[in-house]
Order: sequence, then structure tokens, then C-alpha cells
Amino acid sequence: MRSWGRITLALVLIFLIGPFAIILAAGLSDGETLAFPPQGISLRWVLAVFELESFRASFALSLVLATASTMAALVLGTPVAYALDRYRPPGAIAISALLTSPLVVPGIIVGLALLRHFVIPLGVGVTTALFLAHTALLIPYAARVVSASLANLRVDIEEAAILLGASRPGAFFRVVLPNIRSGVLAAFILGFITSFNQVPVSLFLSGPGVSTLPIDMLSYMEFTYDPSIAALSAMLALMSVAIVLVAERLLGLSRYV
Amino acid sequence: MTLRTAAAALALILGIGGAAAQQKLTISVYGISQDSYRKHLYAPFEAQCGCKLVVEVGNSSERLAKLEARKDNPEVDMAVLTDFNALEAAQKGLIDKIDVSKLSNYDKLYDFARDPIGSNYAVGYTFYSTGIIYRTDKVKISSWKDLWKPELKNRLALPNITTSQGPTLLFMVDRSLGGTTPDFAAAINHIGASRKDVVNFYERSAQLTQLFQQDEIWAAVTGRFNWPLVRKLNMPIAWASLSDGESGGMNVMALVKGSKNKELALKFMDYWLSAEVQSKIAADLVDSPANRDAKVSPEAAESLTYGADMAKAIKFLPPQTVIDNRVAWLNGWNEKIAR
Amino acid sequence: MTDRSRAALLIAPAALFIVAGFLLPVGVLLMGGFRDGAGAWSLARYVEFFATPLHVETLWRTLRLGALVTIASAIIGYAAALAIVDSSPSSRGRYIGLFILPMMISPVARTYAWVVLLGRTGLVNVLVLKLGLSDEPLRILFTETAVFLGLVQLFLPLMVLSLVSALENLPPDVTAAARLLGASWLDVFLKVILPLTREGLAVGGVLVFTGAITAYITPAVLGGSKVLMLETLLFQRVSVANDVVTASVIAMLLIVMSYAANALLRRVASVRKA
Repeated sequence: MRSWGRITLALVLIFLIGPFAIILAAGLSDGETLAFPPQGISLRWVLAVFELESFRASFALSLVLATASTMAALVLGTPVAYALDRYRPPGAIAISALLTSPLVVPGIIVGLALLRHFVIPLGVGVTTALFLAHTALLIPYAARVVSASLANLRVDIEEAAILLGASRPGAFFRVVLPNIRSGVLAAFILGFITSFNQVPVSLFLSGPGVSTLPIDMLSYMEFTYDPSIAALSAMLALMSVAIVLVAERLLGLSRYV
Repeated sequence: MTLRTAAAALALILGIGGAAAQQKLTISVYGISQDSYRKHLYAPFEAQCGCKLVVEVGNSSERLAKLEARKDNPEVDMAVLTDFNALEAAQKGLIDKIDVSKLSNYDKLYDFARDPIGSNYAVGYTFYSTGIIYRTDKVKISSWKDLWKPELKNRLALPNITTSQGPTLLFMVDRSLGGTTPDFAAAINHIGASRKDVVNFYERSAQLTQLFQQDEIWAAVTGRFNWPLVRKLNMPIAWASLSDGESGGMNVMALVKGSKNKELALKFMDYWLSAEVQSKIAADLVDSPANRDAKVSPEAAESLTYGADMAKAIKFLPPQTVIDNRVAWLNGWNEKIAR
Repeated sequence: MTDRSRAALLIAPAALFIVAGFLLPVGVLLMGGFRDGAGAWSLARYVEFFATPLHVETLWRTLRLGALVTIASAIIGYAAALAIVDSSPSSRGRYIGLFILPMMISPVARTYAWVVLLGRTGLVNVLVLKLGLSDEPLRILFTETAVFLGLVQLFLPLMVLSLVSALENLPPDVTAAARLLGASWLDVFLKVILPLTREGLAVGGVLVFTGAITAYITPAVLGGSKVLMLETLLFQRVSVANDVVTASVIAMLLIVMSYAANALLRRVASVRKA
């Protein structure tokens, strides 16, 4: 059985990661366009990325935006997941429908709606608007993933802590949270990625001088079709791999995810 | 990153946004070749005026949609758009008339670039022809009718109606088929009948380079601005010389209504229109100059739409015609071609 | 403090945030689709929308591709998730990392990788020619097949991760016990694993389906304008024709589709709890 499993996994992973090899190869290409196999090998496109000033600013913005909005979404979403799981309040279905609504509204509409009926009437700044929109978008992810791991946590250990004299918040932070760490971490990773790669929502909300990385990449590709986008993507992916590896080393990610 | 560092970093970014002491000029431009603009236009202008340029990039129609959405509280001072988008902006009250007496380079512009949409609402800074590029080893192309040669079955890419080249395509195909009506029915019906043989109706012109290289296509209709990129492929590809002529388009500058930096915006426009800046940007094969005095090397001219003769030969589609018929074209396109 | 007021207290901040910062603006925009030119309430925009053959065709294509992508992801997802759960704890983490990896790569770049792979001279066609499956290169780019492949690649990891966490919560001995009792693998899957992991399937299914029908870049690049989906049509309406009203009609349809999928999958999932 295990060997069949390995073959299946290998095939699925080739399908999922194969294109990554293409990007990596194209990013190291010496040619003028994205091509596989690459025409010669050079670092010229990698270096070209660092010369593009706008990429630097949008990279920083995307990084901060993804981190901050994921944090905010977790802070807002985790209590909801907890309340829905533990107290099963009346109207729970309506509440979770409300909270997952950002997931089902097309991103372009979210961006457009926020721009027209929130940002402009209230005079909100572009960066703040992006932060709010991304947070709203990530709350469903946070609530869902955390609630999935809460559902698997036995209620009695928390009750036991309370019986032994812990306050409710105390029991949450000392007993529940450590036990759902995997879920929270998974939610963080999911939220971070979603925000970092988000295009449609940011499309209308990004403004002059304030643009997220994928939007910048897209507008760059609109007119220029060289391998520097591939080089940039490859570097971003390697950065992500490094983060996952470090998380694995430090937190033992595999035990929790 | 912990919550605290994230918050601090966010505050930093927000702070940078708010704490600009210098005067700022916000411009809205195409995303093409920003490195060249930065070098030859933005940086020297910033040094000259002691101000800071904030740049928004995107395609023309997306940026027009943003201008309209932010009508009451505009962020942008000066925008460059296609001529018909600029006319639309003027009709919707999004832009102001330009006091051309403040532009020292105004008299040096080609006639057609001086007042392309009427009432001095815009000034043209570059123009391009729209024609056909093709693989010389696979097919011979000398008129718009040659697009429908059997060799090009499954080997042809055309611009989508949603791009700024789309209306131009319909215009030239319609004329080559003897069409006379502004609804371009002849072209829409003809392209609709061959739609299965068209590889793609592309939305991003940069994609053509890829399609040529992958041998997906042997011919495509495109703007001249895309030609330098395709030439880099070192394939037997030529810009067709067409017996029935070329069409083209123009990109124009406009002043956003409600801008608080009009004087500075005018200075910037004037600088951009100067022979010096136009020559340098043209030398990078980015924009064909609208300033008659701009000098371009013969090699660069080969890639650009350069000179008075070329300018005269272009059949421009009047911006008002585009605006009046665009909905009908889109509907016809959706009914006959996109399906 | 009662449980009810505690729950309210925990839920309120997020609920308020969503309502003020999201629901109201989107609601105002969507309402625009229910008014006629004069501003009176009407369904005229919807009637207009469905009277256009292209729109109906696009709607069907979106539903079809969304369903196909979800089904394919579920099938591949179960195979992969079972294999992951079956592997040793140390390699499990590595596998999960490998499934997270593609999600880290910008969809913009990943989609372009498919352009290279699926092209006439791409790897897929080289294989097709070598294996003698066809005499000439197949046209895959700018077809529904290309969009399908791109979407599956984009959203499969979400399904796998949902299913892995559902499978991990299975008591480790149930499948073994069922096997001991003589059940075939198919029986074990259909009668034990599937019912016990329905919730994970539902969560993954909603994420994949909603993701697929609202994806923008993949259909735009791999399908081009010949394979329009609702989201690409919506973008076209907003950014080219500045037609916010038709866009809000399309948005409403996408929302209804997502909720319908959600309700359907939830119903399937709740069978276990009842």
C-alpha cells in the first residue's frame, strides 16, 4: 500500500511542482522570453529584478500587508471560531454565513465596492483600505481553519482546567490555544499566502505609488515579457520554502499541521 | 514576525505615505518601460523641480475607471490615456482644458498631436501605427485581406475588442472587406465566421512575443510599440507593408480636474514633450516622438513609428467614433466572435 | 455571564468589522443590479443578462468548470491525502510542506508556466508526439482543458490540506479494524473513510469550487477571450465598458453559486452529525 501511495504522491507533486521547475529554469535563462528548456544560463534576469525600484517598494508593502492583515484576521476570527464551537449560539449558521461572505464575493467586486462605497466617501487612505480589505478577506480562512481544529479538541480538558481553578480566558490561553496551535499556524500560512498573492481585490484599491507585488508584476507583464518575472517568482518561492523549513525546524511544523 | 513588529512596520509604511514634506506630483501612466521613463524623464524632472513624482501604472481603461471612481477627491494630477479614453474623460467632466500657452514645446508638435480630442482637453505625446507582423518564411502578407489566408488557419492572433487595438482591428478589417457602416458589421461577421481559426484574441500585447516564440502563431495584428519586443526574438518576422494602409492610435496627456498641482503638472508635461526627452525615450524604443524636432537614429526609426511621412499615412480612427460605437462593437463582438 | 452573552462578545468584533468594512459597501454595489435606469426597483438587468446568449454560455461554462475542478480535486485529493496520512510522521511534514509550496508561488507566474508547458512546442506536446498519440501538436492553450488544468493545479493543495486534517482525526484503528473484518479497500473508503471525513471534504470542496469560479488570472491567461468565465466577463465589463451594473449582476450570480455549493456540501457533511 505504501508504495502505491508514494507513486500517487510523486505524480501529484510533479503536477503541482513541475511548473515551479519551469519558472526556476526560465528565471535563470539567458534568453529574451520565458522558455523551457531555457536558452543558456545566466543570472542577468535575477539581477534585473533588483534594479526595478518599484518591485522593492511593492514587495515591502505586500509583506507588511500580508502579515498585518493575517494577524488582524486571526485576532478577530479565532474568538468567533471558539464561540461557535463551544457555545453553539442561536443563529450560528447565519453568523458563519455572514463571516464567510468575503470568501464568495468575487475579488474585483470587493475592490470596486470598497473603493466606491467606503474608501472614497470616508476618505480612507490607500494603504489602510488595502489592510481593511485583506483583513475582511482573511477572516473566513482564519475562522474556518481554527474551527476545524477546535472541533477535534476534546472539550473536557478545558472544563478540567476551569474546574481546577483557571479563569475562562486563562483556560483558553493555557489549554486551548496550545492545543490548536497547529490550526492557528495553518490559518496563518493560508492567510499569509492568500494575501500575498491576492490580485483582484487589490486591483482597484492600489493607488498611485502604493501597489502590491502581484499587481506590480501583472502590470509589468502587461508590456514586458522577459524572464525577470520568472526570476522574481522563483526567488519568492525559495523565500517561502525557507520560511516553511525554518518553521519546521523551530516549531516542528509537521507535528501540528 | 510578531504582532508588534508587524504593527511597527505597518506604521512605518503608513508614515512614509503621510510624511512627505516636498511637493508631490501624482501621475498616471502606462506600465510599459518604467525603467526608461525613470531614467530619462522622472529622475531628471525631480532633480529640476525639487519635487517628488508619485507614479500610478496600469492600462488606459483601468486607470480611467479609477479616475472616475475618485472623481470627487482626485489623487492623480496628470494622466496619460488613449485618445478615446481621454475624450470620454472630458465628456464625463474628469479632466480640465490645458492652457497650451504654458507649453513651450507645443508649437513643435505634429499638427495631429496638438489638439487630438478638441477644445484643448489633451495633447498627444506619442503615436503608433497598427499593422500586421508575420513570419516571412511561412506566409506572405501585403494586405489586410491576407489575414484570412489558409496558411494562417490556427496560426493567427488578433487583439481583443477590450484592448485599445481592438477597435483599430475592426476598422481596418472592415475597410478591407468594403464595409462602410460605423458598426463595422462586415468585419464583425467575417471575424466571427473565422473565429475558430484564430488562436487567441489577446488582451496583453506582450503575450505575442511568447506566442511567436512557441510557434503558436505566424501572424498577428498589433501596435508598433510591440514591434521592438518581437524583433528581439531573432526569428524571420517582419512588419508587413500593407497596400491598404495602416491604422494607428495616439496616447495623450490630460490634466485631472480638481488637481491642486496644475502648474507643476503643466511643467512636467512640457518637459516630457521636449525634443530632448522625446529623443531619449525614442532611443530606448519606447515611444515614437510627437515632437517634430526629436532626433532618432535610423536603427531606432526602424522599430518606431517615426517621422512626418509615417504619421501622415496613418488612418486614425476618430475618438468620437470609438465612443459612439463602442457598445455596439462590444455587443456584436460578444455575439459573433467571443461565443 | 451566560454562554450566550459570552458568545455574543466573542463574535461581535469580527461581525461588526465584516458588516461595516465589507458587507455594506458590497451590498450597496449589488443593489445597483436591482434597479432600472430610472432608479426604481426592478429585475430588468437580470432579464437583460439572461437574454444575451454569450452570458448564458459563460454562466454554464463557469458552473461546468467549477464542478469539474472540484470533482477532480476531490478524487486526486483523497488519493494524495490518504498517502500522506499513511506515511511516517517525519515525511508527513515534508509532504505537507511540498503541498504548501505551490501555493506560495504567485498565481501570476504559475499560470505563465502553463503557457510554456502547454504550447505547441511545450513539454506536453513533445510527449504527445513522442508517444505517437497524435501526428501534430495539439492545441491545448486557449481551450477549456488548459483552464481546467491550471485551476486544478491552483486549488488542489487546498483540498489536500483539508482532507489531511480530516483524515488525521480518524481514530487510527478504524480502517485497520474494517480491513480485519474483511472489507475491501473500496468498502473501507466508501463506508468508513468517506463518511468520517465528509466535513473536510465539504470545507475543501467549498474552497476549491469558489476559488475556481472566481479565479481571474488563470482563465484570463490560459483561456484567453475565447474561454470566457464569469469573472473574466465581469472584469471586462468593469474595466473596459465601465459597466458597474452588469458587473454587479454577474457578482450576484457568482455569490449565489458559491452559497449554493456551500449549502449542498454542508448538507452532505451534516449527515454524519444528525
